[in-house]
Formats: sequence, structure tokens, C-alpha cells
Amino acid sequence: MIRKTLFAAAALAAMAGSAFAASAWTGGDDLPTNPLACDGTAGAAAAKPYDGGEPTGAPDRKAKKITVVDVPKLIGIGYFNATSKGIADAAKELGNVDAKTDGPTQANIDQQITFIDNYITSGVDGILFAANDPVAIAPVLKKALSKGINVVGYDANSQPDARQWFVNQAEFNGIAKAMVDNLAKEIGEEGAFAIVTSTFTTPNQARWIAEMAAYAEKCHPKMKWLETVEAQEDNVLSFNQATTLINKYGDELKGIFGMTSVATPASAEAVTQANKCGTIAVVGLATPNAMKPYVEKDCVKSVVLWNPVDLGYAAMQVLRAVADGDLKPGATSVKAGKLGELQVINGSEILLGAPFVFSKENIGQFDF
Amino acid sequence: MSDIAIPIRRPSTFARLFEAYGQEIVVLAAIVVLFAIVGMVNPRFLSDTNLTSIFSGNAYIAVAAIGMAMVIISGHIDVSVGSLIGVLATIAGTLAVSGYPIWVAWLVPVLVGIAINTCLGALIAYMRIPSIVATLGMLSILKGGLISATGGTWITGMPPGFFIAQARLFGIPSPVYFMVVLTILVALWMRYSATGRSIYAVGGNGEAARASGLNPERTCVLVFALHGFFAGIAALLFATQLQVIQSTVPPNLELTVITAAVIGGVSILGGTGTVIGSTLAAILFACIGSALIFLNVSAYWLRAVLGLLILATVLADMARRRRSFSP
Repeated sequence: MIRKTLFAAAALAAMAGSAFAASAWTGGDDLPTNPLACDGTAGAAAAKPYDGGEPTGAPDRKAKKITVVDVPKLIGIGYFNATSKGIADAAKELGNVDAKTDGPTQANIDQQITFIDNYITSGVDGILFAANDPVAIAPVLKKALSKGINVVGYDANSQPDARQWFVNQAEFNGIAKAMVDNLAKEIGEEGAFAIVTSTFTTPNQARWIAEMAAYAEKCHPKMKWLETVEAQEDNVLSFNQATTLINKYGDELKGIFGMTSVATPASAEAVTQANKCGTIAVVGLATPNAMKPYVEKDCVKSVVLWNPVDLGYAAMQVLRAVADGDLKPGATSVKAGKLGELQVINGSEILLGAPFVFSKENIGQFDF
Repeated sequence: MSDIAIPIRRPSTFARLFEAYGQEIVVLAAIVVLFAIVGMVNPRFLSDTNLTSIFSGNAYIAVAAIGMAMVIISGHIDVSVGSLIGVLATIAGTLAVSGYPIWVAWLVPVLVGIAINTCLGALIAYMRIPSIVATLGMLSILKGGLISATGGTWITGMPPGFFIAQARLFGIPSPVYFMVVLTILVALWMRYSATGRSIYAVGGNGEAARASGLNPERTCVLVFALHGFFAGIAALLFATQLQVIQSTVPPNLELTVITAAVIGGVSILGGTGTVIGSTLAAILFACIGSALIFLNVSAYWLRAVLGLLILATVLADMARRRRSFSP
């Protein structure tokens, strides 16, 4: 009975599997894609009117010394230490900003609101934030705007009208381009690869996979997608899934995309334990600390993410530009010191730029 | 007196074997059939590297399912084992990176597992808290406590000697040895020792067991203590498989472990089943998971197939019971 059930289920599933394998890459969503140009020219900014907020009765701060407080989701972890360093770097470079980072030691929205409220009372000129919750943080940010304080977000957005600008670390099509370009560089234009993702319905991963499929079709049409496997956010399952892919495809498999910060190190581990370092490339989204062992052993060459130091630096530069009155609603770009001209997208967001690729040369400088 | 209870026919050896180990034989047959079918579709399924991953990849689930099988046979259930394994793995990793000797990092989580589950067993046995409630509470305590204590930070940088699950002997990964040896020892102990038999007696009919001089409370505490030991071993295998420990609770692990025990033929009503069945079922899961990839089938089907297996097994168990209880 069980044998029959199992067999029937397997046969049924085999049919279902082949039915949707015919379309684009499994695991992507059906939303429209917007692949970037192959040569790296910036994507066209969709014309959308400014939808950020405005401070009321803000004094003229042009070129004047300003006090800024940065309230990240939490303090004391590598990632926000890095954004905080970027903010301090920019403040030092600008010379007319007194910036400090303060915030809760746990990613707790109630505590974050209390911190922001206290700084509004004590009187600051600017607030930088990375929201623990986009909706819950809105009232306190609106209160800051109503007191004439300049408010700029980074990393994690709030409702748009609760702040002036938001520095967006990466767009889906930008990440997709970086992933596909780096794998093509490692395995060649005709290499075959598989994808390890969380689940086929996880929004961010599905969006990235759809954008990657669109970009690969446009710019690396001969690369061969084999299959996408799910591994939830479980590192042992990710490892088992990646190992099975290696066993299944043998020499045909040249590369693995890891779509989550769990799947990427687990795939690298699977490649390492199968003694396939150098013959199977792993490219994926991950944080540097989890990937250091594999990058340092030359098993993984490219880890795609963004540079949190640059993110903090850009946020500080944007806040200064807003305070100076140089960045106004309707602008299409903003000067951000050493990062150059940054593009305005989605009405009131500023795009940090192309994603950052961690490699053996630079990964040691990051601790998050 | 025996004339009434036992039918007078003399069944063949195979029939008697099937009566005693029916579910184990079915699961074993399912594994063989699966190997044959998928091996025909793609011979790489039977390559030694893939067989190695199938047998070692789920060994920690098999080891945890040994304890779970004992708990269910004794008439209880434990839904907190996934969280316990997450906590014990985190303890092992934390000790290893804090510079304690490796044997300490291996031993402490096992002892902590025994201690926690002994308390749990005592609560269930002496305070008369139903095991589903007590272990549900424990699940929340462990899960919440783990997230608060670690903040979800991963543990990396364990010393090289720590990774016991990556060690190999004669080309076979160590988790396979743990799985096989522990399964055989426990199966023999439960079948032939007085204490082992008492677990079946207590789970089959607690009051009858008490009337015949057994102590169901003490058996319950013992079973949970042993279950803690196996959770500790499972946590070690789990923690040392990869270079990083996630320090969160592995999603749905308790369900997988309970499912292994049930599909392996352990009656959810207590009193019957063997740990050989639960280990075979854990191997079957690994087979199915791997086969789905080899057959290009979405992993969603794994859940659907497991669900079907559970229903089929429980129905078969009911049918068997009805047969043996009817006059």
C-alpha cells in the first residue's frame, strides 16, 4: 500500500515537475522584470513624483555645523558597526557635521522609538535611521519632521512620508546582474548551473531569480540553468540539497547560486566536502563572516552583497545635502562625496549603486 | 488459559516475522523500491557519494528518533526535541569556540540534554502534566531562550578537531556508525532486558503494568532521560556537520523526528514499535529527499509524500489493532 502510494505520488509529481520546468527558471515570480544593460550603464529611472515628507519650519542650515544622530535597528553588531563607521567617515570628511550613533542593543522597535524621541527632545538637526518596523516608526519620525529636523533613512525603510529620503542599498535587477555576471566570469558563457533558494515563494528570492533569468537571457544566453532546489533557511538542509545536486549532475554542474545567506555558505561547504573546489563555482548572497573560510581557501571567489560602510557614508552625505538645501524634491541625482553622483529612484529613494562583491582581496576588512 | 487468547493455527515463519515487524519490512521494501526506480532513471543515484550522503545526511534525525520512539512507545510524546537539539548544538559550538577542550564541548551538551529531559520526565510522571502540554511549554522556553541568548548570531571558527560528524572510518562517515550502533544496541536492549520490556508494558497499559509490579513513573523519567541522551548525540552530529552553527531552532525538526518514529511503525497510542523501524524511516526520508531532486520533482512533494505516509501508517496501525483485539 505504501509502495503504491509512494509510486503514485512520485509519478504524479514527475508530471507536475516537467510541466513547469518548461518555462523560465523555477523559483522566480511572475512579476515584470527590468534587466539592466549588459555593459553596466545605469537602468532608466522610472519617473515617479517625490513622495517623501517635508520638515516644517526648518532653519537655514546651509554650510552650518549640524548635529546628527544615527539610530540603527540595533547597535553592537558588525553590520551596523560598519554603517556607523561610514557615517563617521563622511562626517569627518564633510567637517561640518557632529555625528554619533546610538540605539537599542536589540532590534526592538519600541526601544528604537524611545531613542529617537529622546533625541528629538534633546534637540538635533538631523536623524538617520534604519527602521525595525516601517509602520510603527512613522509617527515618531513625523514628529521629528514637525520639529524641523531633517530625516533620512537607510538599510530598512519607513513609510515614505515619514522621512525625506531613503538610501536604498540594492535593487533586484542590480543584484541579479552582479550574480549572473560573476558566475559567467567563473564558469564561462556556456556553463551549466543550479540554484539553491529558500522557498519558491519567498518574495525577495523569487524576485531575484526572476530578474536573474531575465538578465541571463539578455546578456548570457548560452548559460544553462539546470534546476532550482528549495532549502528553507536551514543550513543542514541547504547542505544536503547542494550535495545532492553535485551527486546528480556530476561533471555537468559548473556553478551554484546561493540565494540566501544560509544557502550560500552551505553550498560552499557542500562543494568543499565533495572536493570540488575549483571545479564547481559558488556565487551567492551572503554576509562576509560566514563566507570567510571558503573565500580564504579559494573555494568561493565572489560573494555578492552591498558595502555597509558605503551605505552609511551615502546616508550621511544625503542628509548633509538635504540640510544644505542641495537635494530637493524632484531632483534626479545627488552628489555623495567619494561615491560620486547617486541616482534618485522610486520618487524619494537614492540608489547606493551597483552591489558590492566581496573577494579574497577585501573580505578581511569586513566584520559582519 | 492460553487457549482463549492465542489462535490455534501455526503461522509460517514469514507470517510471524511480518506480524512482528510488518511496518519495518514495508519501510525497508519502500527504500529498496525507491533505490531501484531512481537508480534506473539516473544511475548516479546509486553512486557511492550519493549513498554516503543519503545515509549520513539524516543520521542525526535517526539518532533523535531512537529517543522519540522510546518516548512514544512508553505512551508519551515530545514536541520539544527540535528546540532541544538547537539549544544543545549551540552549547557545543559556544564551548568549542570559547577554548574549552573538545571533549568538554562534546560531553556537556549530552549531559545538559539528559538533565533537561529528566526534569521534563519528572514533571510528566509526578506532576501528572500531559506530555504534549509539558513539552509544548518546553518548546517555547527553549526556542525563546535560545533566540534571546544568541540574538541569532551564527557560531563559526570552531577548532578543526571539533567536527566529529565529518570524520570518516573506512570511507564511511562517522554519523552512519552512530546511527547503526545505537539503533542495534537500543533495539536489543528494548527487546531482551527487563527494563526495556517494561517500556512496552507501561506504554501498552500503564495500570496493568503497575498492577504487575512495575513503576510507570520511574519508567517515564528513565525514558525521557535516555531521550535527552539521544538528543544530545543528535545535536553533536547536527552541530559538527558544517563549519557554521546557525544557533536557531532547525525548522520543523521535531515533526520530522516524530514522523520518523511513527512511519517506522511506532504506534502513536504507545506500547508497540521498534527503533529499527524509526531508523529505517529516517533513511527513507533521506532517500525520498534525494530522489525528488534526481527525479526533478519540487521539494514541496516531500511534505505531501510524508503526509501520505503518516496517514497510511496510522490507518494500517488501526487496522492491525482492530484485527488483534477482535475475538
